[in-house]
Amino acid sequence: MKSWSLIGAAATLAFGMSTLVAPAAADKLDDVLGSGKIRCAVVLDFPPMGYRDADNNPAGMDVEICKDLANAMGVEAEVVGVTWAERIPSLISGKTDVAIASSSDTLERAKTVGFSIPYMVFQFQALIPADSKISTWEDLKNAHVGAAIGTTYESSFTDYKAANWPDAPGKLSTYQSETETFMAVSQGRVDAVISTDTAIANVIASGKYGDLKAGPIAPFGADIVGFMTLRKEYGWINYLNLYINRANRSGRMQEIYSEYIGGDMPDLTSSGVYY
Amino acid sequence: MDYQFLWPPVIKALPKLLDAALLTMQVSVISMIFGLSIGLLLSFGRRSKYFIPRTLSSIWVEIARNTPVLFQIFFCYWGLGEFGIFLSSFVAVVTALSFNTAGYMAETFRGGFNAIPDTQLNAARSLGMSFFQTQRYIIVPQVLRVIYYPMTNQFIWVILMSSLGMLAGLRELTGETQYFNSRTFRTFEFFAATAVIYYIIAKLVMLGARLLGWRLFRGQS
Amino acid sequence: MNSAGSAFTNLSWVDLIFLGEAAIRTLQISIVSIFFGTVIGIILGWMLAAGNVFVRIAVSSILDVFRSVPLIIQLILFDSFVSIAGYPMPAFWSGTIVLSVYCAALVAMVARAGIEAVSPNLRRAARSLGMGYWQDLRYIVWPVGLRAVFPSWIGVALSVLKDSALVSAIGYLELMRASQILTTKTQESFKIMLLIGLFYFLMSYPISKAGEFVEKKWQS
Repeated sequence: MKSWSLIGAAATLAFGMSTLVAPAAADKLDDVLGSGKIRCAVVLDFPPMGYRDADNNPAGMDVEICKDLANAMGVEAEVVGVTWAERIPSLISGKTDVAIASSSDTLERAKTVGFSIPYMVFQFQALIPADSKISTWEDLKNAHVGAAIGTTYESSFTDYKAANWPDAPGKLSTYQSETETFMAVSQGRVDAVISTDTAIANVIASGKYGDLKAGPIAPFGADIVGFMTLRKEYGWINYLNLYINRANRSGRMQEIYSEYIGGDMPDLTSSGVYY
Repeated sequence: MDYQFLWPPVIKALPKLLDAALLTMQVSVISMIFGLSIGLLLSFGRRSKYFIPRTLSSIWVEIARNTPVLFQIFFCYWGLGEFGIFLSSFVAVVTALSFNTAGYMAETFRGGFNAIPDTQLNAARSLGMSFFQTQRYIIVPQVLRVIYYPMTNQFIWVILMSSLGMLAGLRELTGETQYFNSRTFRTFEFFAATAVIYYIIAKLVMLGARLLGWRLFRGQS
Repeated sequence: MNSAGSAFTNLSWVDLIFLGEAAIRTLQISIVSIFFGTVIGIILGWMLAAGNVFVRIAVSSILDVFRSVPLIIQLILFDSFVSIAGYPMPAFWSGTIVLSVYCAALVAMVARAGIEAVSPNLRRAARSLGMGYWQDLRYIVWPVGLRAVFPSWIGVALSVLKDSALVSAIGYLELMRASQILTTKTQESFKIMLLIGLFYFLMSYPISKAGEFVEKKWQS
């Protein structure tokens, strides 16, 4: 009896909701121009790409790119801090217009969101305590490894483990954010964590997490990252692509890179293939 | 609505989700056992005539009841790490939930004991029963009746709270759901399925408790 | 320890202001949700106490769902549902709606208990004095029932205050999320935890003690 009334109520609710649903809104590019504001999803615990400065204002390379893009469009930039796992939900839920959040261009993600052309390249690497005996990638086989949930390195490592070390006693623990993984390795909860080379260099330079050192590079290949937005927003993706292209042509991207990372901007092209 | 619901990933993941639901039950049962035992001790502590046990029990109860469970979980997981105490996700979540449950159950026990008039105690003692006999035959059965339904509610509450284990890296039902969500980005589908699983668990526990309560307490009124 | 990168700083007064602002947002979302939750909950409680059998079964089985599914899942589910339905809303509002409904589900039980705590004889006496149904509710049931369940209502309100910490999971920058952000930046997890624990305790403890005091006073 109770359950029937429940099903009835659920059906009524679902019907009510479905009749409320309006047809698709205008083009995302129009929305952004119309609102005079671009909302960028950025991961803010991933220095030097995204972090909070002494006044708790967002800063970092991804934040700077968002501001530069806003400037190019003649709108205001609003940086929305998200965790790794929240990036795509924040786009889908319309809380943000674009994710400039060091997101690897995986085919799995492309089933849900649309990617721009690449704007940065990383390597995946292990971060280990300074006195760790881990020296080669194979040494991670039996280690307790940490990684932030929702990242490419976490899913790549899981897949790699399953394919190459199926019976090894090594363990993977997932964390909600990048900082939690750094805390975990510095506290000694895990033997190593996986992150990107730039983030690891920054963490070691900061000295905030005790004595850590950069470990072996992951054999997953280059990590090419792009902006993400809704899959169907072709007009918006075209605009973002042109922005990235022009920001590189004009040298603006190199300027931002020099400010936050230093050195020469990595090559964004893949040899032997069209984009 | 532009969104296309896509259920196959959920159906594929269902066995894993049900495994994770078992972990949820493990966490909840262990936390409940610890919480009940410690809660009983705390309720005695609060009635103690000595200052130290009384104060310590009161502090425990008030902190447990006046701070968020999520805070308690984070504290056990990350806060203790600063002292070199590393609890695994499982232990941290069980510790926090036991701490919380003990605080709430202590108050429930207190209500249960208060419901029994002192005259009964005196009568039993004057019949020559020892303290433990009095507790065993007179007090505990009556207290159990008073606290049985609040205890059942608390247990369901613990099951629901264990979902916060997700935020401390525990792959219980909610953690596992988040894991699949992070792979497939089917947030609504996965969390809807999980909501149904929790609802079913809560109803089964409630039903089980009703049946058990009916067996335990029938004919005693 | 000296910091090399500008990305990592120690806890400063700027951070304390940041926490303070987040604490205000915690209070805001809690107060708004408790207000709406209480109003809706009282109406639902009245339906549970006074409605016919169908109304009672319908209302109680719907409310039951909200008490049988973890709040964090309700939050994520509602937040993603309104988005895919094409009505995305700021985290404050989706959080407020879910918290209000959750609060209403708890208040409804309290309100029903309050209405049922008023003896039928008293109500019959009131009606026989010529009071209408609404007059009876306003002048007899409300004051008598309120006394009976006011402490339980305090308990519900405080649990909503504490549960508002979960709104952090859908991205609302309240106290719990602010503390995570600062932990990220400063690594002072223990100090920050103590601060926010103290905040919740100082909000919740005096109110719960005041509730107990009122309860004792009314009972004597």
